Amino acid sequence: MHILKTFLSSICLLFSLLLSAQQKEPPSDLPYSNKIELSNQALESLFKASGHISIELAPGFLLEGKIQNKSDHGNSVTSLLVKVDSRPGGMLSISRYKDPKGNIFYAGHLLKLHETEGMMLVERDQHYYFIETQQRFLVAE
Amino acid sequence: MKKYVVYIILLLSAGMTSNVSAQVPVLNSYSPAEATVYLDFDGAEVEGTIWNEQGKIEAAPSGLGPASITWIYKIIADHFKLFNLNITTDPAVYQRAPVHQRTRIIITPDGSWWGPATGVSAIGSFVWGDDTPAFVFTNALTDNPSFIAAAATHQIGHTLGLQHQSVYDSYGAMITELSGGESNIFSNQAPLMGIPFYKQAVWKDGHPSTGARNIQSDTAAIAGAPNYIGYRKTTDTDISTENGIKIERQDRSCISLISSGDYSFRLFDISGRLLTQGMLKPGFNEIRTNPASTGVLVLQWSGEFGSGSQKIIH
Repeated sequence: MHILKTFLSSICLLFSLLLSAQQKEPPSDLPYSNKIELSNQALESLFKASGHISIELAPGFLLEGKIQNKSDHGNSVTSLLVKVDSRPGGMLSISRYKDPKGNIFYAGHLLKLHETEGMMLVERDQHYYFIETQQRFLVAE
Repeated sequence: MKKYVVYIILLLSAGMTSNVSAQVPVLNSYSPAEATVYLDFDGAEVEGTIWNEQGKIEAAPSGLGPASITWIYKIIADHFKLFNLNITTDPAVYQRAPVHQRTRIIITPDGSWWGPATGVSAIGSFVWGDDTPAFVFTNALTDNPSFIAAAATHQIGHTLGLQHQSVYDSYGAMITELSGGESNIFSNQAPLMGIPFYKQAVWKDGHPSTGARNIQSDTAAIAGAPNYIGYRKTTDTDISTENGIKIERQDRSCISLISSGDYSFRLFDISGRLLTQGMLKPGFNEIRTNPASTGVLVLQWSGEFGSGSQKIIH
């Protein structure tokens, strides 16, 4: 009986350890209401597009719009500004930065000025997410 | 004759135009730093940014004279003197700075395209790499140079990733998003990331607008990731003469100081009695004192950049 109790306790402990290991850290310190994980391929495809774009950045998250501005700032940073049809009036501003070692990073926002909610691109453990958060955490007076 | 009149008018108007841009003195607070904040006083056309939902923004020149510009620049530069960051009025310096370590603050009279505000910025845009500017609207600041400097510092703080410093009640409910320094009624200080206009404005460690459970150390956030600005070396700053400590302000219950590094400190009264001791961190620090401890106090410190002592009349 004693052995059975020890065995069951060990199984419970192992199970709880496995569960806690599976719980990922939140992708941002900002409070957010929703997160959408994006693949690097989808992000990269944005920078290859021109004119009108229609790209599924994540399952169920279709980005449709028109590129308003594409600019290179030196050799390392390319920025895109997209007027987004799928969120009317919204603008996606996204930059792709290549560090001297060749690593690529992205930073971006999807905003409509004076709205209460906006989206911010965040990176956590080499995964990119769009988090939906209050716009006052993204644009401030 | 008519041709000459037109020619003279053209010459005069060209002269006046060049005079407007020539009015902005070329100033740099810390040239060795790559990270740069450009104070743009002479107007700008802004296109291709998140601000341009309604098209191009034509920001008029600030209309401020060299004396006001220099005054504003000096206050802003003073707020950032701890950091490895150059505050400049020179567009060429901005253009040479790394694209992911620079920002432009457009100081312009009218913000009607945005709404009633003293300025606006995108939080963290300093590292975006796409030259998204921030704005300060001088009409809303009654063209007061001290207010403009405070508002510009506040907006620079946002571009460097800082949220507002807020006030919460004991249950964690927000009382006000913008702290005006209410937490200590004996202090004449207010956070730069709160309402910085009516008291001595300083960087603070406090609870940001993102929640009562969060702590935002303004100086640590500016210096650290993702800005990676860091602090100036002691020898490069004007606080080196004080061995890395500079008393900013003191009142009956608090001594505020800026430290260039990690130091242990001890505060004595004139008879040598130890009043308090602790650690100073790089950046802004406050030492709480007993209001009853009046007279001459002696602050001693020791740490990574040496040691020293200073008398304080309390």
